[in-house]
Amino acid sequence: MSTQATQINSARPRQRGLHNLNVGKILLFLVMLYLLVPLAATLVISFTGSPFSVKAYSDLFTDSNLWTTLLLSLGLGIGSTILTVVLITPTAYWVQLRIPRARPLIDLLTLLPFAVPPIVLSLGYLEVYGDSHTWISILSLGLVPLLSNDPFNIVNTPQLLICAYVIIALPFAYRPIDNSLRALNTRVLAEAASSLGCGWWRTFLTIIIPNILPGIISAALLTFTTAMGEFTLASLSGIYTFSVYLDETGQNDPYKAAALTIVSFIITLLCVLALIFLARQRGASKKKTGNIEIAAAR
Amino acid sequence: MEVPTTEHLTGPTPAMPQQKRTRVKRSSSSWWYHTANWLGLLPFLLFCLIFEILPALMLLQGSFNDNQGAFTFGNYQHMFAQSGTIHAFETSIELSLVSAVISTILGFFAAYGVYRLHSNWLRNLITGFSSLTANFAGVPLAFAFISTLGVTGFVTVLLRNVLHIDLYNLGFSLYNFWGLVLTYVYFELPLMVLITLPSLSALRPEWSEAATNLGASNLTYWRKVALPVLMPSLVAALMLLFANAFGAYATAYALAQGGINLVTILISFAVAGNVSIDVGLGNALAMGMVIVLCLAVSLYTYMLRRASLWQGR
Repeated sequence: MSTQATQINSARPRQRGLHNLNVGKILLFLVMLYLLVPLAATLVISFTGSPFSVKAYSDLFTDSNLWTTLLLSLGLGIGSTILTVVLITPTAYWVQLRIPRARPLIDLLTLLPFAVPPIVLSLGYLEVYGDSHTWISILSLGLVPLLSNDPFNIVNTPQLLICAYVIIALPFAYRPIDNSLRALNTRVLAEAASSLGCGWWRTFLTIIIPNILPGIISAALLTFTTAMGEFTLASLSGIYTFSVYLDETGQNDPYKAAALTIVSFIITLLCVLALIFLARQRGASKKKTGNIEIAAAR
Repeated sequence: MEVPTTEHLTGPTPAMPQQKRTRVKRSSSSWWYHTANWLGLLPFLLFCLIFEILPALMLLQGSFNDNQGAFTFGNYQHMFAQSGTIHAFETSIELSLVSAVISTILGFFAAYGVYRLHSNWLRNLITGFSSLTANFAGVPLAFAFISTLGVTGFVTVLLRNVLHIDLYNLGFSLYNFWGLVLTYVYFELPLMVLITLPSLSALRPEWSEAATNLGASNLTYWRKVALPVLMPSLVAALMLLFANAFGAYATAYALAQGGINLVTILISFAVAGNVSIDVGLGNALAMGMVIVLCLAVSLYTYMLRRASLWQGR
């Protein structure tokens, strides 16, 4: 085993010449430089003053709007994360166990948000929840009229944003959960549990969930980052979230803009660090299978 | 098990009536089994219906309606007649394609660089940093670029003061097409690195060994073996990046403030009730976007399926 590995390692550089190796590495270096420079420049600008100043930051942190919007975005993030996990995990398990026939349908539904970007979605919500249409009411089994009138009116509320974020994050959230379910021998586990007298929910909560936790964690964090940073829907439905505040404040003051960028970078950093840390901790026994999944942020 | 409910989704199974004829008792339980199967999916399906499918259907319907709600092709005629809207589609597609192609090519080589790295911690650091920057998009990204390459940006000022190169005198501007390309590439490049790494690891060492044994040079190996195997993944990645850029709104909005004519910006005018775009035209524009994106996503899934043939995933 180990001799084989060393053989391959020593054989590698010989086979593929020095030429190729350099192109890849030089480009990698340039790409990393390209990714680092804007961050460094923003950091410098955010401390610009005479000659060093934390004024941009002290102005920001005393602005109560920062904290209220941050709190709102945090709430939206947590809300959509919980809803995503609660909605997707049982569904993915159910599809895997009971109705594999529905897989193409579910795949289509989870892929569709790629084709319906947030900007299109916001126009669609305006149409659906704007005026009442008979065929919409019938097709939605009466749910749309229920949701667009009191007492459950969700039009242009944070609740609608949460639901929209679940949809936007669907492609990134469904895949990790589904992948970890596929890696698991779900049927055997469920049958073993059932033959030992374990009910459906108990099997699901105490056997399946702990086994697919890495997938759930990465789905949750990806949903959370998406919801925290989303701008399009929030700004167009007039909800004052952190990214809307960021845009509004930053357009008038370049120093505050830089400082806010750093703040939001740190938030993203924390999320990604949590993702890597948790994935590593859970996936330690399974080698490198717990690779970090990524979100395509907009 | 599921709580029995009276409502169920359409059509349990076509096999149901046949079974009923043969054995009554078993068929009723199997009918219940199938219904219960679909019932378990009901919450998810309903959620997707009201927050995903119906909005899309409404856009389709609205794009064929005029202000009074009567059927019309007027919105589409309008869309094709105005040079502004056609131009917006051209700019959006061009911008997304250029940034996606640049990111695919550079990202592929960078991913190859990561793949060839010997130290594990460096590879992990770069992967982590890539997933960080791939998630760093929208308004903050636009501001980061304004701080870097804007008129008073750090790099702009540095170049002007130290090297006496004035970017803005040379015709560069962050607030036009190429500025946006530069900004989009920022979040697409790391995304490309992340999605290419698994495909590169799926290249078997045996293939290059076999090629070398048969006398193939390094270049021949790449041209005849590695690239054809990787090609479906690369096209899939290109399509994903394209779709990602095509639907992007926040970055372009925060950077150019409506100064560049993109489809997403025009649609946002319709949502905001701007007089220049009425809702019908907005719907038609949105449908146009959905069609372009559907093509990209179909190609993406098709290529992924092709890729799994060789990469056993």
